[in-house]
Amino acid sequence: MKDLKHLYYFENLLQEANNDLVRQAASEGRVAVGSVCSLVPEVLLSLPGCFGVRLRAPRTGSMEMGTYYMTSLLCECCRAILERAIEGGYKFLDCVIAPDACAQMNRCVENIDLQKLCDKEKFFVSYADVPMKSGDAALRHYVKQMRLRALDPLRDTFGVDTSDAALREAVARHNEVCRLITAIGDLRKEERPRITGYEFHVLCTATYCCPKDLLVEKLRETLGELKAREPAPEGAYRARVVMAGSELDSPDLVKLAEDSGALVVADRFCFGSLPGRQEIVLTEGEDVLTQICRQYLEQGQCPRYMDTAKINERKAYVDALAKEYRADGIVYEQMKFCDYWGYERAAASRIMREEFGYPVLSVDVPYVVGTNAQLRTRMQAFVESVEIKKIQGEAKR
Amino acid sequence: MSKAMGSERIGKVYKGGKTRARREWRGLRDTWYDYTRWLFIWKTMIGFMMNLNNIRGFFRYRWMANYLAVPDFLDRHTEGLRGPQLRIAHTEFDLIVAHMCDTMTTMFKADPLIGNDKKLSDSIVVFDENMMSQIMNGFPNLHMVCIQIPPVYTSSTMTQEGVIHYIDVAQEFGIPADVCPMPAAELGVAIDDDYPHIGKCAVQCNTTCDGSLMGNGLEARRYGIPTFQLPVPIRHTQDSVQDYAAEEIMNAIRFIEEQTGEKFDWDNYWKCMEVFNEETKQMLEWLELSRSPYPQVIGNNVALYRDATYQVAGGRDARFLDADREITRLGLEGYEKKCLCAPVVRHRAILWGVQAQYYTAFPLWLQNCWGILPLIDMLSLTSTRIFQTGDEKQALLDMAHLYQNMTMRNRSNGGYEVGVKDLWRFCESFKADMVIMYEHIGCKAMAGYHGIFEEQARERGIHLVWVTHGLMDPRAASRKDMRGEVSRYMRAVMGEAPLDPSLEDFDDSNAW
Repeated sequence: MKDLKHLYYFENLLQEANNDLVRQAASEGRVAVGSVCSLVPEVLLSLPGCFGVRLRAPRTGSMEMGTYYMTSLLCECCRAILERAIEGGYKFLDCVIAPDACAQMNRCVENIDLQKLCDKEKFFVSYADVPMKSGDAALRHYVKQMRLRALDPLRDTFGVDTSDAALREAVARHNEVCRLITAIGDLRKEERPRITGYEFHVLCTATYCCPKDLLVEKLRETLGELKAREPAPEGAYRARVVMAGSELDSPDLVKLAEDSGALVVADRFCFGSLPGRQEIVLTEGEDVLTQICRQYLEQGQCPRYMDTAKINERKAYVDALAKEYRADGIVYEQMKFCDYWGYERAAASRIMREEFGYPVLSVDVPYVVGTNAQLRTRMQAFVESVEIKKIQGEAKR
Repeated sequence: MSKAMGSERIGKVYKGGKTRARREWRGLRDTWYDYTRWLFIWKTMIGFMMNLNNIRGFFRYRWMANYLAVPDFLDRHTEGLRGPQLRIAHTEFDLIVAHMCDTMTTMFKADPLIGNDKKLSDSIVVFDENMMSQIMNGFPNLHMVCIQIPPVYTSSTMTQEGVIHYIDVAQEFGIPADVCPMPAAELGVAIDDDYPHIGKCAVQCNTTCDGSLMGNGLEARRYGIPTFQLPVPIRHTQDSVQDYAAEEIMNAIRFIEEQTGEKFDWDNYWKCMEVFNEETKQMLEWLELSRSPYPQVIGNNVALYRDATYQVAGGRDARFLDADREITRLGLEGYEKKCLCAPVVRHRAILWGVQAQYYTAFPLWLQNCWGILPLIDMLSLTSTRIFQTGDEKQALLDMAHLYQNMTMRNRSNGGYEVGVKDLWRFCESFKADMVIMYEHIGCKAMAGYHGIFEEQARERGIHLVWVTHGLMDPRAASRKDMRGEVSRYMRAVMGEAPLDPSLEDFDDSNAW
């Protein structure tokens, strides 16, 4: 397929946490709000005068200092982020709003806080307690926490407008990006998709780590370009897969899968669009924050949700994605040392294979995937097995 | 060989295999006392095995074999002790053995494969191992069974390799080897179908850690009974989470009421909480003694027992209060006589982090080998709040407080203030000059503070001794490895020699 006009631009945005658009927004006097987890609704960080930046540590090499502070058995993503903070990579932040969602990421943020690695005068870290199940009680708690731990500190420290009107404005801007990403992502449902999983992941990741409003024009142009794009020839990919799992803030793994012949047609992972890039639907007559939190709670697919309904829903959701995006198999990935996904991957990969009948590849991945040869071999073997099953007509659904 | 503490070379009993002969001469009075308690334990165990259901349970469940080592467990946990400390240890452990026998008798009687007492089974509410039980204080007609305790928690304390099989089963299933072995072993038991299928319903909790929470979801599939997940807020020191915590407690109570048809009995709840309050007051006495120059209830004598009283008994079993009072009496007696807990007291230490289940006798080794007094451990530093009775709304908040402050999770969850800062406060309060810092390889919550601990200990001039272990998997770091880390520090940094050289280096890799 012909290269996308702005792909290089988007790729470059992923090369630094403090990228061109972040610098541009900061120079306009906007408040840079760091986040580390999808459980703090992004719209709360993108109120007028603010922009949210999901923390990443692109181009990570050594993580020795992160390892000293948090040992070699903690999630590499957390260690890499701490390492980047120690190197001074997040000094542009005005605050971090972090949920106490997983212990490891919480420790990472606490280390950033305790070691005073961000030194702006008004810098603060706010820790929110976020619910671990759905339901009315959980929603009330969620709303209360987001009010106390996200909105109020932003208002009190930086004078940010946190009124319903401001929230509605933030939601409207958020929805604009979601509509574009969803429209682009929907092209992956086609028999011969006009976008690769890698390209999509680049675009989607950029929306997590840049001021969204500054991306809209290029995203719109890219959507227009894609609509007219000639798809890859038939047989360019040997299998279509759903990729599900923990944080993937770099498109390397998706690229590795596609280089091995597996087109990633659906992204059910942290930094992905399913869920994450659905429009937030607001109605009149109900508190806006409650409506936002409800949708995050209902749509959330994090394995941290512990109630049986949510546990079952996660598998059903991946099944629905596989059907909708016509996937031949599922790749479950887990960031090494992630407790949540360690269990979820083990369970889901068995359940999706034994109860839903999908071919499943289950892998744990390092933070820096690069051109990992072992992963490539496993991916290639998986593609071959899916292909053989297809040829032999043995794939059972 | 005399009645004086430290007069025997304790290391001589470890000869590389199972330790079968380990009688220690403690003077006539103490040796006779110890011998009679040894007979009592056998009597309890034989009594247990006289029950046909229990015999069948013994042959049905492979984890039951671990309990053959109960007498050895008692011996390990009384090594070198004399006078009040010896009596305190037996008062505690004898009760725990009796309590465990009761629990297992109930489980096997209700087990469809064994006793098949359906009525009894329908009166059982299955709880998580790592979970407070105070909700059940309001259900006097129901039984609470922490289903994972007999197969996993106590099994791994009885024999060091007690749950390795189940850890391997979980890893064969696909669970990564880096997660905490405790929830992994618990899941392994479920995969092996080695939990009795008992209970009308189950209540699971998001204590103690992310791994434990995740294991629960899979285990619930195996239980096959209605299960309520009780989410307890993580940032438990924040006022803003308390209402939600109480609301979920209420939801759990409603769930149990709906499933069992029982009504929450507030009168019984108040009665049990009064007992619980009394138990807390006894604990406060022990802590006060530990702040003095003559601590009495320390190390093993507080670690395992406090867990059982605070969490499992929870005010429902009056035997624990009787035992508590006896322990206080013995402790005060020892204090008045200025009894020491070690032959020579060289250092006063706080034990922080999570202890190794396969080496719960480690604090005793610290005392006997190096004269390090393990004054208190992190797991025992739970809530000491005295609760009001009579106010139902307040009671829900109190229960929520207890569930948030469950053993271990009150420190491993909740942030820096409870995980790190409190340690330095306790060092000051207990006049400790040393911290024995357990580094449980799979405990990511505590490992995240590794560098912070080191830096802050240096700033405060506190000796910080790292002791790496694998919680329930001695293959990760053996008992000997744990001792080696302390011994190296004591030799190299402190320049000290052991009080009992036979304990510095011995082989117990094949011991129970």
